[in-house]
Amino acid sequence: MRPSRALAVAAVAAAFVGSLLLGDVKLSILVGVVAVAIAALGLDLLVARAGELSLAHAALLGIGAFTTINAGDRGWPWPLAIGAGIAVTAAAATIAGLPSLRIRGLQVAITTLAFQVFAEAFLFSRDDVTAAGRTLDRPAMLEGDVQLFLFSVACLALVLLVRRRVGVTKSGRAFGAVRDVEARAVCFGIVPGSTKLLAYALSGAIVGLAGGVLAMKAGSISAKDPFLLLESLQLVAIVVVGGAGSAAGIVTAAVLVKALPQFYSTIPIVDLRADRVVPIVSAALLVLAIVAEPQGIGALYRAIGRVADRVLRPGGARAAPEPRPRFVDLAAATGHAGALRDVPRDLRLQMPVRALLETTEVRVQYGGIIAIENVSIEVRRGEIVGLIGANGAGKSTLFHAVSGLAPATGSIRYRGVELVGAPPSRRSALGVARTFQDMGLVRADTVRENVLLAQTWLAPTPAGVSILGLGTSVNEERELRRRADLALELFGLAHLADERLGDLPYGTMRTVEIASAVAAGPDLLLLDEATAGLGPDESHALGDRMLALRDVLGVTLVVIEHHVPVISRVCDYVYCLESGVQIAEGSPAHVIAQPQVVESFLGRTEAARGGVDR
Amino acid sequence: MSTAPLLRVEGLSSGYGPLRVLFGVDLDVGAGEIVALMGSNGAGKTTTLRTITGQVRPTDGRVVFDGVDVTAAPAEALARLGVALVPEGRGMLRDLTVEQNLELGAYVVRDKRAVRDAFERTYALFPILQERRTQLAGRLSGGQQQLLALARALMSSPRLLLVDEASLGLSPVMTETAFDVLREINRSAGATVLLIEQNVCALDLADRAFVLERGRVVDTAEGEAVRSMQGRLRRTYLGVAEGGEAP
Amino acid sequence: MVARVVTGLAAGSAYAIVAVGVVLIFKCSKVLSVAQGEIGAFGFFLGLRWADRGIPGVGWHISRFGTLVVAVVVGALIGLVLERFVIRPLVSRPPLDALIATLGIALFLALLEKEMFGTATQFAPSPVGQWKVEVLGATLTSSRVVAIFAVVVVAVAAWLFFSRTKFGLAVLGTTGDPTVARLLGVPVNRVYRFTWVVAGALSGLAAALLGSAFGGITPFDMTRLALSALAGAVIGGLDSIGGAIAGSLAIGVVEAVVGGAFDTAGTPAVAVLVLVVATLLLRPRGLFGTEGAA
Repeated sequence: MRPSRALAVAAVAAAFVGSLLLGDVKLSILVGVVAVAIAALGLDLLVARAGELSLAHAALLGIGAFTTINAGDRGWPWPLAIGAGIAVTAAAATIAGLPSLRIRGLQVAITTLAFQVFAEAFLFSRDDVTAAGRTLDRPAMLEGDVQLFLFSVACLALVLLVRRRVGVTKSGRAFGAVRDVEARAVCFGIVPGSTKLLAYALSGAIVGLAGGVLAMKAGSISAKDPFLLLESLQLVAIVVVGGAGSAAGIVTAAVLVKALPQFYSTIPIVDLRADRVVPIVSAALLVLAIVAEPQGIGALYRAIGRVADRVLRPGGARAAPEPRPRFVDLAAATGHAGALRDVPRDLRLQMPVRALLETTEVRVQYGGIIAIENVSIEVRRGEIVGLIGANGAGKSTLFHAVSGLAPATGSIRYRGVELVGAPPSRRSALGVARTFQDMGLVRADTVRENVLLAQTWLAPTPAGVSILGLGTSVNEERELRRRADLALELFGLAHLADERLGDLPYGTMRTVEIASAVAAGPDLLLLDEATAGLGPDESHALGDRMLALRDVLGVTLVVIEHHVPVISRVCDYVYCLESGVQIAEGSPAHVIAQPQVVESFLGRTEAARGGVDR
Repeated sequence: MSTAPLLRVEGLSSGYGPLRVLFGVDLDVGAGEIVALMGSNGAGKTTTLRTITGQVRPTDGRVVFDGVDVTAAPAEALARLGVALVPEGRGMLRDLTVEQNLELGAYVVRDKRAVRDAFERTYALFPILQERRTQLAGRLSGGQQQLLALARALMSSPRLLLVDEASLGLSPVMTETAFDVLREINRSAGATVLLIEQNVCALDLADRAFVLERGRVVDTAEGEAVRSMQGRLRRTYLGVAEGGEAP
Repeated sequence: MVARVVTGLAAGSAYAIVAVGVVLIFKCSKVLSVAQGEIGAFGFFLGLRWADRGIPGVGWHISRFGTLVVAVVVGALIGLVLERFVIRPLVSRPPLDALIATLGIALFLALLEKEMFGTATQFAPSPVGQWKVEVLGATLTSSRVVAIFAVVVVAVAAWLFFSRTKFGLAVLGTTGDPTVARLLGVPVNRVYRFTWVVAGALSGLAAALLGSAFGGITPFDMTRLALSALAGAVIGGLDSIGGAIAGSLAIGVVEAVVGGAFDTAGTPAVAVLVLVVATLLLRPRGLFGTEGAA
């Protein structure tokens, strides 16, 4: 177990044990604390993983608790009653999350606020919802306080397990992609809408479990206080103070905020009422945490863990790995490389076609502005085709059209299959992959996780099933990892596999992006300004890599480049765009010598400067 | 002739997070000069201006304006010192009128009469702006917006005018107009101009020129030599090898 | 029915005063402050306590009108402090962080109020006298009437401020593009400070007028008011002051009319929520807001 986790467990256990011995506390109160910790973990899934803020989680907690009581009161056996609570809360959370399909960020937070207020004003004032006057008897198994407490801890452990499963399967990666690079996640085969809803449903399920635990504890719930807006805000405070994403931190924060006031009715020395002061302090800490250091208690644990690590293992302290890719002789790795190309393909594509990619009179128009017009290019199998042009010429737009991110008319045929009108997610399955000018990856994830992310389309089992670790999903995940390791080795990134992407130098990040794209097993790779931001040596190395990708892996490339020398060295054929139209094509030497091309680069032509003064 | 340049940039390095863009840029602009900073896409021209005006924090180097070290100065301070910027993309306040944009250009001018004079001057130089003074800036055409951006920068009678890619999005005719205006204010009001451009036409205007490539100054010229820079620029932009960087 | 509309307009006026503050902040810094209700409430409670028990140390019992002054001044001060120490450091972070910060502030102030002033209803005599007025069949208390006047004054003042003053122009410039504004020499930080101070003061004013409308106020009344004000701002358009006023008045009317038509508790809340969610889904910018504002 990592030192930071051990520390958290020790701290929380100490708090519990200490209170039992020193304080005058009933175990059942601790059950309530554990329930809040579970609810906070549910909220954290949404906030940290999916990047959505919910102010409705107290209401969801209430829905879970009341559903369980209602079901139990109707004679359902208690596990089913809790199951009902989980299911109903998951459904409610999904409904609360529906607006996120159309709006984002701030506005979604407002709709969750609306949900919370609605639940308070409407649902919780109705007797049939709150099961007023009815009681749920504690099941025989959980009769004693000790059993109940152990049960609640077991639930907490289950939730931690689920969180871990999410983290190592495609669902967690998908959440991160939708959170950070939503518009591009489709290129990996991710469906943003259902991914978001899954996040809400999962979060709701966890909170529903917490509600069930509360129901077991109390039997009936007369006061609505734990489910009001104030509590929703406190849950947010717990998540932030604990550290979004850190289970250890969040559980500790929950214990601090909820248990402390129960254990010590007055704070020693200062002689203030703990149950009143602690919430105020936690709110202040929330503000402080957000302003100063949004990493919370979790970061504290990690820091202590690092120190402990150094103390306990002075010699074997892990030195930071060299953050640049190692040199790999790709020619010697042909066998490995071939394995990456071995992916399932639509049988229709087996027909031999001269042109791998063929665009005919493609036009992309945004509102009144025509981005590209009448672009007809052809890319043959095994070629490296260059796409050059001044700023705003439409090069990236053409890539967007091919990858399905821009509305295009005309024809774009890939191996004879028409892409215009087809959903973006089809591209990966057909064998088209791309990189982005500004890096379309998740910086908060590790290198390996990003490479796995790009292969999402290779694992068709629904994300929900993969979390449970059932059936085909296990094999799929294993296969993805095998491929990822292969790709990392081919690009000399194996030693950086567990490093956080955002911590690496820019050039290495770009290499990771290319490795990810290659890991998806494409036949056609679109590289958008891969040398941007690279120094002369790195540019040269990248040029070598492009050639190797074609020669060793057999991938066909289309590269957008500003740096003309790379184009000259690497490309077989070049197209030059300007203000959305093609102005030249041919071998690199031929194109560069064209007067219009020269004028365009020197900025002298009208078109290069964005067109006529309208 | 005074030897201390109005603007001096020494060893400037900066970038955006992990992306390093400038690696020790040196340039200077003398009072009353028009200096051109040329370079192709991605060379770092805009980053240079952003660093000079305090929008991006440099990791190394200094910026000195009229003897004052302004390296760490916030953007507002530079306006008060008499530095005006015509930003890339024009920086239009789209929901404000032409007149309001111009008025904001004169924000640092205290004296009401001076502001009125500034308006008169501006409308004389740019009659089209007077015509459209109650129109929303966002509704103007690209060329008109560029003129407005230029006019706005001139409202405060700045001592140093920084112009970022004025020709972007303009027809040759409008570009000529813009450059004519720059020439005029340099001549009559003695305004010093640092012009960032990809367009080689800027070389017709400049007293001196610097060429930026991948975040470093790779070439400079002065006086007559500036006109003949065009040939060298072609090689820099298109990388047609002639003992330059290995492709 | 007409009487209800009038009552609704009066209630909506209080919302409008708060909403103008929310929108002013949002326009300039893209920060949605949900703390505007509590900021005003805190000031007003403090004023009530000083009226009741006298200012500690000085012993002077402030007058009824004084409670309003205290509310406004304390609100402004809290706004000043918050801008400097909480919001300014967050300026380059995603807007959700700032939203969470304002949530934290609202939570903090609400709990602090509970602690300092208790949860019982505070007796709150009207700061502007105890008279009533009959308008179109509705009876309006003094506070309500003053609230309506206050909205009119705020609207006129805002119009004059933005069209006639140099600083008003500075605020508009900051709204358009803070970076460009800075380059033109606009004191953008001062503009931010200004918006928070004014919003805090308006919040205090609304709290003082609302609190006395019922004769008593609890710490949660202002939260409810702030939520309605927020709804009004969202519907009207988060970056339009005129929209905030219009939206808030509309919310006030909807609440009054729906509340009178249906007996079930909570229906006005549901009606408002439906409006808010519908607006966000169908026309996210609000009735008078600009595209891409939120």
